[in-house]
Amino acid sequence: MGMGLKEELSKCVHCGFCLEACPTYVITRSETHSPRGRITAVKLGISSVGLNTCMFCRRCELACPSGVKYSDIITSVRKPNVIEKVLVRMLERPETLTHFIKPVLRLNGFTPLSYEEEDYDLVLFPGCIMSVVFRSTVENALRFLKNRGYRVKILNGCCGLAHTHVGETRRAEELISKLKEIKKPIVSLSSNCSAHMKEKGLNVYDFSEFLVKFVKELPKKDMEVTLHQPCHAHLSGIDKYDRQVLEIMGIRIREAEEPSFECGAGGDYFIFNKNMASQVMQIKKEKTLKSGVNTVVSTNPSCSIAFIKMGLNPIHIADLIFK
Amino acid sequence: MQLIDELKQIVGEEWVISSDEKRLYGFDGLSAVKGEPELVILPGSEEEVVKVIRLLISRRKKVIVRGSGTSLSGATVPLNGDEVVVGLSRINKVYSIQGLEIEVGPGIVNAIVTKNAPSHLFYAPDPASYQVSSIGGNISHDSGGIHVVKYGPTYNSVIRLKVILPNGEIEEFKPSPFLNPSSIFIGAEGTLGAILRARLRLFVRPKEKKSVIASFNSLRDAANTIVEIFRSGVIPSALEMMDRYSIIAIEKSRYKAGLPESEALLLIELDGSQVSEEESRVKYVINNNGGEIISTKDDSKYWNARKGAFPAMGTISPAYITLDCNVLRSNLAETLEKIREISRKYNVYIANVFHAGDGNLHPLISYNPEDFDSFYRAVRASDEIEKLVINNGGVPSGEHGIGIEKVKYLGVYYDEISLGVMKRLKITFDPEGLFNPCKMFGNCKVNSRELKVLWEWD
Repeated sequence: MGMGLKEELSKCVHCGFCLEACPTYVITRSETHSPRGRITAVKLGISSVGLNTCMFCRRCELACPSGVKYSDIITSVRKPNVIEKVLVRMLERPETLTHFIKPVLRLNGFTPLSYEEEDYDLVLFPGCIMSVVFRSTVENALRFLKNRGYRVKILNGCCGLAHTHVGETRRAEELISKLKEIKKPIVSLSSNCSAHMKEKGLNVYDFSEFLVKFVKELPKKDMEVTLHQPCHAHLSGIDKYDRQVLEIMGIRIREAEEPSFECGAGGDYFIFNKNMASQVMQIKKEKTLKSGVNTVVSTNPSCSIAFIKMGLNPIHIADLIFK
Repeated sequence: MQLIDELKQIVGEEWVISSDEKRLYGFDGLSAVKGEPELVILPGSEEEVVKVIRLLISRRKKVIVRGSGTSLSGATVPLNGDEVVVGLSRINKVYSIQGLEIEVGPGIVNAIVTKNAPSHLFYAPDPASYQVSSIGGNISHDSGGIHVVKYGPTYNSVIRLKVILPNGEIEEFKPSPFLNPSSIFIGAEGTLGAILRARLRLFVRPKEKKSVIASFNSLRDAANTIVEIFRSGVIPSALEMMDRYSIIAIEKSRYKAGLPESEALLLIELDGSQVSEEESRVKYVINNNGGEIISTKDDSKYWNARKGAFPAMGTISPAYITLDCNVLRSNLAETLEKIREISRKYNVYIANVFHAGDGNLHPLISYNPEDFDSFYRAVRASDEIEKLVINNGGVPSGEHGIGIEKVKYLGVYYDEISLGVMKRLKITFDPEGLFNPCKMFGNCKVNSRELKVLWEWD
């Protein structure tokens, strides 16, 4: 056991403050499927089904008064299964995913948009799932950036968050090192990926952050929406930019209950843990509908997929601009 | 049929935990002592709870009823290893809301009660763990919180209870101003049976709220201020105090709020319909006692610092003992000064951050779990504080319960006759000692050196 891990484990005084922040505890109300239970399982070195049911939303880290870095603990024991191993490799080359989207997600799959200008100013990073499931969002983002005079290169690839999630930590680090070679600023369209890349020290702007910091003026829209705060974006605090963009655009936000509650997708979780994921989605749907509207601003693609599954209308900021 | 198979028939296979995972239920919010239950059962309905408990009783199994597992006194720790933990966190329904009353299952989380209440009402008791701790556990510990000073502890908010007794019978106690059986179960720590349902009192939300923050250069001035606030006819909705050592810990931690490093900081909250009148009286008292009022637009940063005061102790040491003894408000200054002497004597860091309005002290006594001697010194300091408090008319525990942590202080607080009455109550309800063994009265084998230090005097 590494020193860092041992120290993280000893920080947990099992107060239980993380319990209700955890989506799988909320649906099972079982210690086994709670952050405290998982940390204890790692501490005691016992095998527990709970170690595989974590959705990796890291909401427990925000709830923890002792500042335990839960993600380091859980990823230290996670091992990907064979399918996950293949899947995360495919994410690195999104074009290989296109034909699997329909049979797996029952959504249309697209070929990722390729685009590169000479002497580009910035790199637009859609994120693997965004590039094949929400290609029109990528098109809108590109159109917007070009309209504003930026020269753009689109980079279709994976940030490695999915790898971290399933325990492929070494490969995740390699992907980050590759991205670090990019010398131009990166604008990222998937907010959980933005958060992950920021945490790993990359020079990256979340799309909304870019709008707030560099564009400032945006078209006004007469609309009412509710806002979903994707888990990792919320953990890093960048979800505040989504809110600011909506304010600039004059869009009214009707608050959902606990807008940062896990959407139920959990990256690829909903593919491998269907039962628990659908229970979380059911709760997320109820909380979201408390806003009174069913248009949900969601800046992260797997969350958007979850909202589609719930029968709601997710929309990305880049799409709102042209709405 | 084996017991475990019968239990699986009642609750379903996935809700009976017999593998290594049962060890995840071997502890609660008390960090010093851990155990391991024989089995864990998580029933999903009131009917299942009744069936499970009746079956366990019929087999003479020891039963530990557990909620969210946040007890600070170790009230749900299975010490012997032959206990069956019955977790009620899934029994979290709201059954009815009528007038100022709400009826809920024991597993419902404290904060969720207010969430379900009509918007003009709220559930008042708010222990620091209110976002996660369960109502069943709150009732069993008579939990308090910062608003106790005005709204009372859980006791004042329980109207009626439905319980299952250690003989398997179900009792529903009607609200009663006479001989009130519900009251026996408040603070019983699961030793007399299991709470199946509770009807709780809701209060009307106050129209206005206002905070006054003040710092003091002497503990005595702060303590006198507290006494005089009440003398002036004001009952604050919260009156919290942080001493120099908790301020230092907070300012070292991620909860730092730029607090002035003074001897004491008072956080006073006023609510109701006479807030501005009360505010001027409170400010007058503060000025008269040498306090300095901190004028701020954003008082939430002070309250957040208060919330962070416990975890901020992590910057001092990895673990700490949290006492919750009550003293008379008039004894506050002297007690706090003596606690500083005790801290020096045992060479332990003690921060005081507490519900000053109701004299509910929270000396946080730091220790390092890897260093047994530091734990030993922390417990001995705690022993001395408890004796000091009790000998001056105080109470050993105001809101965290006795559990396994404070067993030995019960004998200091109560005389033989009183203890005899409590034990007769216990025997009357639970003659075979099946419910939550080793808690409150101890009487179990001391099977770890930590327990030995907690249970035995030097």
